[in-house]
Amino acid sequence: MKPLKIGITGVRGIVGETFTPEVAVEFSQAFGTYLDGGRILVCRDTRPSGPMVRAAVIAGLLAAGCEVIDLGISPTPSLQLAVARLKADGGIAITAGHNPSQWSALKFVRGDGLYLNSVQAEELLDIFHQGEFAKAGWDRIHPAIEYQDAIGHHIELLNRVFDVSAIKDRRLKVAVDCCNGACSLLTPRWLEEIGCEVLAINDDPKAAFPHAPEPKPENMAQLSALVKAGHADIGFAHDADGERLGVVTELGQALSEEWTLALATRIRLEEKSGAVVTNVSTSGAIERIASAHGSTVVRTPVGQTFISEAMIELNGVLGGEGSGGVAVPELHSTHDSAGAIGLILEGLARSGSPVSKLVADLPQLTMLKHNVPVEPNRLYSVLQAFRLTLEREQLPYDLTDGVRVELPKGWVHVRASNTESMIRLIVEADEPASAHHLLDWTRDRLSN
Amino acid sequence: MRAIPTLKISISGVRGVIGDSLTPGLLTRFAQAFGTYIGQGTVVIGRDPRTSGQMVKQAVIAGLLSSGCRVIDIGMCPVPTVQLLVRHHMAQGGIAITASHNPAEWNALKFIGGDGLFLNSGKAREMLDIYHQGEYTRVAGAEMREVERVSGATDLHIQKILEVLGPLPKKEKPLRVVLDACNGAGSLVGPRLLEQLGAEVIPINVTPNGLFPRPAEPLAENLGVLCATVKEHQADLGFAQDMDADRLAIVSEQGIPIGEDYTLVLASLQVLGKELGPVVANLSSSSVLQEVANRFACPLFLTKIGEVNVTEGMQKEGAIIGGEGNGGVIYPRINFARDSLVGMALVLHLLAETGKSVTDLVNSFPSFHLIKEKLPCPSSKIPAVLRTIRTEYAACPLDLRDGVKVTLPDGWFLVRGSNTEPIVRVIAEAKNETTARQIVAGIYGQVQACINS
Repeated sequence: MKPLKIGITGVRGIVGETFTPEVAVEFSQAFGTYLDGGRILVCRDTRPSGPMVRAAVIAGLLAAGCEVIDLGISPTPSLQLAVARLKADGGIAITAGHNPSQWSALKFVRGDGLYLNSVQAEELLDIFHQGEFAKAGWDRIHPAIEYQDAIGHHIELLNRVFDVSAIKDRRLKVAVDCCNGACSLLTPRWLEEIGCEVLAINDDPKAAFPHAPEPKPENMAQLSALVKAGHADIGFAHDADGERLGVVTELGQALSEEWTLALATRIRLEEKSGAVVTNVSTSGAIERIASAHGSTVVRTPVGQTFISEAMIELNGVLGGEGSGGVAVPELHSTHDSAGAIGLILEGLARSGSPVSKLVADLPQLTMLKHNVPVEPNRLYSVLQAFRLTLEREQLPYDLTDGVRVELPKGWVHVRASNTESMIRLIVEADEPASAHHLLDWTRDRLSN
Repeated sequence: MRAIPTLKISISGVRGVIGDSLTPGLLTRFAQAFGTYIGQGTVVIGRDPRTSGQMVKQAVIAGLLSSGCRVIDIGMCPVPTVQLLVRHHMAQGGIAITASHNPAEWNALKFIGGDGLFLNSGKAREMLDIYHQGEYTRVAGAEMREVERVSGATDLHIQKILEVLGPLPKKEKPLRVVLDACNGAGSLVGPRLLEQLGAEVIPINVTPNGLFPRPAEPLAENLGVLCATVKEHQADLGFAQDMDADRLAIVSEQGIPIGEDYTLVLASLQVLGKELGPVVANLSSSSVLQEVANRFACPLFLTKIGEVNVTEGMQKEGAIIGGEGNGGVIYPRINFARDSLVGMALVLHLLAETGKSVTDLVNSFPSFHLIKEKLPCPSSKIPAVLRTIRTEYAACPLDLRDGVKVTLPDGWFLVRGSNTEPIVRVIAEAKNETTARQIVAGIYGQVQACINS
């Protein structure tokens, strides 16, 4: 049996196995109970299980006495922006983000449009585990569902935040791979609105994912070919729900997802200095870019809400993480791939340089990522054993999230995945050889 | 007050109180059990206008999609429309979301097979077995589908009725009808049907908002407003539906409810007048129905109570008309289901074609007096009650298919436990009210004795 992951990012599993309609119903009842009724927005990405999960979520919310506004197929950030406009008390995004098509998940959004933080998620889980949900009687239950669009308003805000006239003047040719996900309905439409010539592929929300919905170089071959054949100025790759973004240069080079934030940081800090917020497993390149611009970096545990809350608290100028998520605070303090596109296009337009040049002088570090599948019951014993090994070797480590070790040649980050039953291993060093050495060093100490 | 059980899982479906026992988790599991039972086929779903209808529907959709079914959602409509549409779409099943005559806080799922009939007790037990075992078919996401929303289901229903019965014969003065739809599932379709038949309609309680303007059962005591409206407008008759529009009661031109059991009597009169054939009803139906059958020399067969028992009896006997004494008319040429819309069309045709008034038609039969009572009785005491009655009346002809039916020299009575509430139902009929009351009083004594023993 594949695992059902219940954690601070919500609940996630494989449909037909662990992610059952009962799980979706009960989590929604718990969320409705947590928010004490109230107005809740619901959206979904384009997975074929979406209609099933949507029905289960709406049933659970209505039963708990909530008023439900269904945004239909919509990027998650569009829902997060709609929470304030529609005066909602929260939202549920039905999407497993970058996970393969057979997965589904619920992501819980609170009244300020951000995800639940770890304390709030614990409270929600407590209600879920106790199984005592609010039950609206016949005279309190909402008899109907309301339908609203969130994408139009998202586009209006994007137009307000970014320098649209500068982008229009450059008449950029932009290739985009929407992975047949929720951004199929947003990005091509918006880019045309702001005067780009758009080459869109995989922009059919009714079709299956053409490749894994994770914007990594290995999934961007089709986009690279399109950029080259179409002589585009840049290419963008989306995940399923509009959080993560991958970039292809005008030369057709698919950049590592780590470079999306690095590129965004460089563009942003050239306009405005201030704190950049990212998590502990994102590339050290961010520090080097920040210090070159006289700015600082704040590191948080892995998880979007940690970044969002630190951005707000510290008045950060940018947030994001190495997976390709970028948050532009003028838009909102949460990952938004359309926001990342806006920032990067604005940078291209203002600098007049090709994107390959903007990335050429970014620090060239080598980061290696490795996943070690581990049985769900052994996840934490493996991590504990790793910690004990470090203690025996008298190496200091940081427990902000998982275990992070600074070594002379680079750093190592080992943690349990929030979303799958595996241990994620990230190492980074200046030189490729050192990075491989660090990876071997870590794997030797992870006696799985 | 003693807590009344609020969840009833039985062969007639699952029924419970919203905000209490009827949770979305339970509903989605039932829908999965049904989807598993019918093997990933097409399922037609429809609902009545209860405030909880949307919640229940979404839970049902989630369960059906999860088990790999194709779902056709026909929206808010009468239960017989769901049954008709199951056959129309050649679906493998249907789920009607309605607690029929239960009060507003209740809701329920009724399960329909591919033949458009409710699951019989054997099939329902198989489905319940799957539910209780909890091993449901769960397909992968890639095999799941979008819900298909079909509008115009009730148009199709009206069209089918008009195809078979035609409009009413043209008259200088069309029949004037008051329709009381109880703000139920028939609110939007009843007035359209009556107009298209060629009647003049005065609708009341046709706002399907889930608020009950009167208790949903079309019993005489619930039809005060309808009776007054019939008199006020000098209408030819009044029709009363229940929440899911399967049952129909009639009010005469004098503003008097003629009794639910007369609905099937008048419908049968119309059908047998055109075509001879067997009649099937349940064993609590009025003796007047026997008089109708006798008038046309047609056989009448009595079955156990419950719509599916009647429809199965009708299939077995090749009946041309059938139904239940609670106002449920089943006319297989249009719909193999209790259908108040069909009932209205048959009765209006009878009035228009004979030119007689409702009162004249009712008075053309010998008078019987039928009493229906509910006596509170804990579920645990019901077997003792039935045993006592069997012993007490051992000398009379007994029918034990459904509770105990006793034929007396001057009438009959039936005692049975309820499937849905802690009560025993008593139905007694005699030539006059006094005798009928005496019969009921006798049984009341027996029940009290059993409860106290």
